[in-house]
Amino acid sequence: MAVDRRGFLKFVAGATTGVLATPVPWKLLDDASIWTQNWSWIPRNVDGENSYISTISKLCPSAAGMKIRLVGNRPVRALPDDNHPLSMGGITALAAAEVQLMYSPSRVKRPLKHSGDGAYVAISWEEAEKMLKENLRRAGSKVAYVSGDETGTINELLSGMAKASGSEDFYMMPSEVQPAALAFANMNGKGQLGYDIENSDYVFAIGANILESWGTVLRNRAAFKNTHPAGEKPTATFVYAGPVQSNTAAGADEWLPAKSGAEAIVAMGIANLLIKSGATIDAPDFAEFKELAALYTPQKVATLAGVAPAKLKAIAAALSKAQNPVVLTGSEFGQGTGVATVLAGTAVNMLLGSFGREGGVKALPLAPKVIASGMDRSEIAQKDLVAYLSRLNAGKVSAPKAMVFYEANPVYGLPQPAAMSKVMHKVPFKVAFTSFLDETAKACDLILPTPLGLERFDDVETPYGIGQAFYGLARPVAPCAVDGKPAADVLLGVAGQLNMDLGFATFEEVLQAKAEAAGADWDSLMEGEFFTSDAVVEQSGLRLCAGIIGKALASAPKAGKLSIAPVQKLNIGTPNTAIPPYNNKTIRRWELQKNEMYVAMNGATARELGVVKHDRIKLSNSSGSIQARVNIFEGVMPNTIAVLMGFGHTAFDKFSKGKGENVMELLTVGYEAGTGQSVWNVAGVNVSKA
Amino acid sequence: METKEFTIKWGMAIDLDKCTGCGACMVACQAENNLAPVVDASNKIKVMNWITVYELSNGKPYPEHDVAYLPRPCQQCGHPPCVSVCPVIATDKNEEGGIVSQVTPRCIGCRYCMAACPYHARYFNWSDPVWPGGLEKALTPDVSVRPRGVVEKCTFCHHRWMAAKDKAIVEGRDPMDLPEGEYVTSCTEACPNGAITFGDLNNEEHEVAKLASSKYAHRLLERLGADTQVYYISRREWVLRQLDNYLEDEKVKG
Repeated sequence: MAVDRRGFLKFVAGATTGVLATPVPWKLLDDASIWTQNWSWIPRNVDGENSYISTISKLCPSAAGMKIRLVGNRPVRALPDDNHPLSMGGITALAAAEVQLMYSPSRVKRPLKHSGDGAYVAISWEEAEKMLKENLRRAGSKVAYVSGDETGTINELLSGMAKASGSEDFYMMPSEVQPAALAFANMNGKGQLGYDIENSDYVFAIGANILESWGTVLRNRAAFKNTHPAGEKPTATFVYAGPVQSNTAAGADEWLPAKSGAEAIVAMGIANLLIKSGATIDAPDFAEFKELAALYTPQKVATLAGVAPAKLKAIAAALSKAQNPVVLTGSEFGQGTGVATVLAGTAVNMLLGSFGREGGVKALPLAPKVIASGMDRSEIAQKDLVAYLSRLNAGKVSAPKAMVFYEANPVYGLPQPAAMSKVMHKVPFKVAFTSFLDETAKACDLILPTPLGLERFDDVETPYGIGQAFYGLARPVAPCAVDGKPAADVLLGVAGQLNMDLGFATFEEVLQAKAEAAGADWDSLMEGEFFTSDAVVEQSGLRLCAGIIGKALASAPKAGKLSIAPVQKLNIGTPNTAIPPYNNKTIRRWELQKNEMYVAMNGATARELGVVKHDRIKLSNSSGSIQARVNIFEGVMPNTIAVLMGFGHTAFDKFSKGKGENVMELLTVGYEAGTGQSVWNVAGVNVSKA
Repeated sequence: METKEFTIKWGMAIDLDKCTGCGACMVACQAENNLAPVVDASNKIKVMNWITVYELSNGKPYPEHDVAYLPRPCQQCGHPPCVSVCPVIATDKNEEGGIVSQVTPRCIGCRYCMAACPYHARYFNWSDPVWPGGLEKALTPDVSVRPRGVVEKCTFCHHRWMAAKDKAIVEGRDPMDLPEGEYVTSCTEACPNGAITFGDLNNEEHEVAKLASSKYAHRLLERLGADTQVYYISRREWVLRQLDNYLEDEKVKG
């Protein structure tokens, strides 16, 4: 049968109609859509039973309380914990990424030894512990320990080991803790300063980045949340003084522009006005303080700190009027501030009658130390790491034969990191207990992987900033994702072999003893509960230390015409974590473009410097130099350049490495007159087009 | 076009005076919804964020400058412009709760919806997601991983609603009458400032319904008529003014 043209067309039309009338094309299209998405390299969902474990972050400086969600035995999410006093229903951008950090590409997966040619060689734990023991034995008393943990009892262990070997060299990475502890000790205070922000109706944060990084941030933010009902008039006022309209300034009811490093001056300006209005303090050196405060008139504060006199007066008046005001001081980048800053802030609190009052400042009790040879917090505060390293660098003290770094990254995180690198070369044996391959680990001879806080037992005792005594445990939620061993157990084993008697065989015993000393119930801690206490330490004979404040302010470094204001944001990580993979997307468009960072200045400053947005500039001073592009942000004080911290890593992984430059290169260490404490919150800078 | 009405209409009220731009919502969202991390996240057009935080400025020079941050999830429009343009019904608004769905296995990647969305809330997978170093072990089982070639967007953590309903059914409760707070999105839960309030806009008992009727509540580009389910609250006039295209001398409600 011949098929003519008409027949063919009929057949085609019929076939088309027929096929369309069936579900075949639609099913094929649907299948094509599904199967072209069904590739073997796309991960599948792995289901399992949900469970939740309450714990505390050891990675986030806020010591965030959190609930870890597990699916089967896999941790998948770090969630806020409504019932935890260190979470209060919120989580930080850093703690939210903590589960994912367990699998970070930059994790140290096994013990590593730095070979002569610079390569890393994987070694067994047995060999690593032997190497550690031999080197510590060889070093004898010439050993130094550096810790990056602010709240853990491991510091007693580390300092106990230092002392047992005859060394006094145990140091903490600098933060807000040391100046506060030193200030209170100088005042003749007992205990640790705590701030009852949640019961305050007027919170004045001078430099303290309370809604982003200062103290127990989630607690601060819960206080902000509760006093700022959505769409309604706030029931408490938050005022932030600092050089940059930072995240804290964005939330605060008022931003008071004040130069970087001028926090003590602002506080003295407030003291001046309060005293003028009749405020007084029952302290032996009040007359001296009054005399000193009289110098800091609003006009003088305007000259030194750039604060508008009318605004300063308005804040002083509002503080006087408030029922439960509290003043918090610190550095907007969480380190480098002087003792005088905290002294001046505490004096203002006392002038307001806020010391020991609800909604004010409290002296919190700390648990006694449990390792007899270890140092307690007040002893640790006396140990100035930056000063020690500067002396080492200058050859004023002999270099230790061994240095132990515990979750500390001084090669990246201290001012003038280049000088820190030089110090590392002077020490024959360096060991890093670390979870991530950071800059300090890369400069060490031995790298020992530690489990993350989610993979080990650890503790948190009364973090700085919190308004009540606290003790809680970080508990392992999953086995260690790498071949890691808890540093405390390794060190206790080595200490035993070196015949150091620390009084404990395991770290769990240390923690049990600490819990008991704090007054906490071990069994409930193990179930995820925590211990809090509203007890305060009675004070007598508190001094204001006007002499120290006066000396410090009289010889405070001047930044010069242009100064930098480092800005800390938790989403960009810490020196210990670098930028977590999940946090890269939170970096703003004009903070980083590809690998180039942006620095911010206001339009007037840019005009004066002859630069426009996106221009490449070089920021330099006697400490070092960095390159960046210009962003114009009007929330920066004149002649100030805001530089984000957290960039410029030379270690870690592709999510952090080589992105931007490290602002610490520009920070110059000075020494506070009156206390000798190292400070680096003022840095002048020169700008040129790059 | 008439708005399709539902018994429950999940909605958000975001207080822009409380948001400090910390990014916790963005991280929580990525971890919850299995968005892959990227090495270079500086190209904001290509980077996938179901919620992103924009910086707003009052445009004034120092010292009058003010700043605010605006978290932008999918606005879950009542008249979703994306739905009407989707040739394969991969996105729809026909389920109780009023959440605009996104069925990624059905998506053919034409990106019409992206062009239609006035809020830039939709993202296209230009490449396959990669979780380096074993990071895929931390994926949640709630949301399927999407391959390259499909569009995705915020779903108000729809899986959480399903889980809450399942829980209610197992416990013998009415799944359509969940207590406030039993179902919230991951970003709402994470926000340490309590800037995000989530709930049923149709339930007068819910905080979000009260906030939505506040004189300070506005919606993004409200006059486009998309009838969105996300409300923004601010007591600052300059912030509210930036939520829509106002003429210079035009008065803003609130």
